[in-house]
Amino acid sequence: MIEIKNISKWYGNFQVLGDINEVIGRGQTVVICGPSGSGKSTLLRCINGLEPFQKGEILVDGISVGDPKTNLYKLRQRIGMVFQRFELYPHMTVIDMIALAPMKVKKKSKREAQAKAMELLERVGIPDKAHAYPANLSGGQQQRVAIARALAMEPEYMMFDEPTSALDPEMIQEVLEVMIDLSKEGMTMLVVSHEMGFAREVADEIIFMDGGRIVERGTDEEFFKNPKHQRTKDFLNQILK
Amino acid sequence: MFSAVTGNLAYLLGGFLTNVQLAACALAGGIFLGMLVGLGRISTRKWVYRPVTVYVDFLRNIPLILVIFWFYFVMPIIAGRPLNAFVSAAISFIVFEATYFGEIFRAGYQSISRDLVNAAYSTGLTYWQTVRYIMVPIAFRRMLPSMITQSIITFQDTSLAYVIGLQEMVRRTSIVDSIEVRSIQLYSFVALLFFIVCFAGSRVSRYYEEKGRRANVL
Amino acid sequence: MLAYSFDWSVLWRQPYGEWMLHGIWYTLQIGFLAWILALTLGVAVGTLRVSNRAVLRFLGTAYVEFFRNIPFLVQLFFWYYAGPMLFGKTIQFEINSISGLNYYVAIVALGLYTASRVAEHVRAGFASIGQGQYQAVLSTGMTHFQMYRYVIVPLALRLIIPPLTTEFLTIFKNSSVAMTISVTETTFMSYKIDSETFHGLEATTGAMLVYLVLGMSIVKLMGLIENRFKVQGLISR
Repeated sequence: MIEIKNISKWYGNFQVLGDINEVIGRGQTVVICGPSGSGKSTLLRCINGLEPFQKGEILVDGISVGDPKTNLYKLRQRIGMVFQRFELYPHMTVIDMIALAPMKVKKKSKREAQAKAMELLERVGIPDKAHAYPANLSGGQQQRVAIARALAMEPEYMMFDEPTSALDPEMIQEVLEVMIDLSKEGMTMLVVSHEMGFAREVADEIIFMDGGRIVERGTDEEFFKNPKHQRTKDFLNQILK
Repeated sequence: MFSAVTGNLAYLLGGFLTNVQLAACALAGGIFLGMLVGLGRISTRKWVYRPVTVYVDFLRNIPLILVIFWFYFVMPIIAGRPLNAFVSAAISFIVFEATYFGEIFRAGYQSISRDLVNAAYSTGLTYWQTVRYIMVPIAFRRMLPSMITQSIITFQDTSLAYVIGLQEMVRRTSIVDSIEVRSIQLYSFVALLFFIVCFAGSRVSRYYEEKGRRANVL
Repeated sequence: MLAYSFDWSVLWRQPYGEWMLHGIWYTLQIGFLAWILALTLGVAVGTLRVSNRAVLRFLGTAYVEFFRNIPFLVQLFFWYYAGPMLFGKTIQFEINSISGLNYYVAIVALGLYTASRVAEHVRAGFASIGQGQYQAVLSTGMTHFQMYRYVIVPLALRLIIPPLTTEFLTIFKNSSVAMTISVTETTFMSYKIDSETFHGLEATTGAMLVYLVLGMSIVKLMGLIENRFKVQGLISR
């Protein structure tokens, strides 16, 4: 369970997050949407300690992220993250990249790590690309490799930061399908995205953020049929046009 | 006509070999140290950034000859006995060239997007693991043309070890010249040798620059 | 650790203090004079490199490659020891009896060498000026030579002030190589102080400070020049 309690964050004088409260239970899929600059990506990076925050508390299975004594490296082994721009290592083949952290962090043998990597590549649908370099892959394939890389560490939680925003339209679906399967298999997921179709299908809760704050939240039923705030309605009108 | 050269060929080439050996040591040490210096220059910790920056800015203002002399005078005091010219020169070169390679690595590190490093961290890799498996390999590949160019400069700089009497090629050429007085042939020869090696090196650097520009992914 | 008593007074005690001042003065002279040569020659060679005529381009490229791929020390020795011989026995003798020959050779050698580096920066400056600019100037009826002389070169020089600053710093550092032919500049003096007093450590440390101060002054100076000649509307620091 991830508990986010009263999180506030400033860059200098500029407040990027204000009083964020949320609980994400095991097996849940939570989708966050909102205009750019609303702090959604920043929130994700606070959860796995990539960015610091000034006020509040984040507990991941009881471990406090903001506590200086917490071993963030160990924490990050439990939270996988997928980025908007894929961020694959350009100098490594797909299989080496996926196997890297399991080998160096979890001390698995090369054989074991590569076998697991192949398994994951099968799962995301591109086992034939195991020995390709990122430069030889399409955007959709790259993002699926990124998902496999994150899954290789067998995390308890997966966070996605606008995973399909940088993809050409025809490749969005192949990535969403992987994410939908992941959600249905019971992975606890926190997804920042504008893909409302995805949200409708698997989201347990949808959150709308604006200006660093949570404006509205609800199940997909409540959210789409009865948005309470004007800002939410405006945003949905824009997105669903 | 070229008897001054051919008659002393082994002696002169032996000197050239010394230049090559010195360059090899300088490059091995300088690149490794430069890797670390580059990290220091992008560090957010003041106690790392400040000393490293002072070191880099200081050495880049000073002639290499002076650094060579300085170590030549300092090392015996620290070691308690006179050091041989090669070791003294090698240390001077490593310390000096590390500042240049450090700046090259720094540019390489800075070209890596923040999120790529975050992606590595989010798989649980530690800082030093990320440095070792991700940052250094990527920076090195991206900056390869600059590294080759700097290596050529380092190779040329080894001629300056002349001033502490190291038996490298320029010193040996001047020794032969003082006997045979065939300056044109002798100095043309050493110039030619350096030219061939450095020109070839610059072609290699150009090749990688083109390759990088065409691929444009790394 | 060897027992060593420091004696920092070698830096200002007579006659050593005077030696150092003499050395600094020579470093400044050599650097500035060589820089003037390097700038004029460098602009010329850089312009050759972008010429329409293949022959000129080849000459420019040959010049740059020649001076770039040979260590400066080797070049200096060549001009000093072998150079006079190129003129035949009689003139050779004349040249070698010029007093202070090493001083003049150092300036010329340093200027020739640095010109090749300046030429590369000039070429980069030309390349960064868009095609349209060239076409616009030519369309007013100017010849190629006039275009370069009145528009392109002045513009390119302003654009490349930062890399030129680096070259200016480098020329002073390279002036130290002249000590190998006994030119009495800063580094030579620190070595000479050591040979008299055996306090080379203090002498060379002092010399380092000299170059440091020189470097910082030049950066300041070039910063002022850059402000004075800044091109409006382009990305500046």
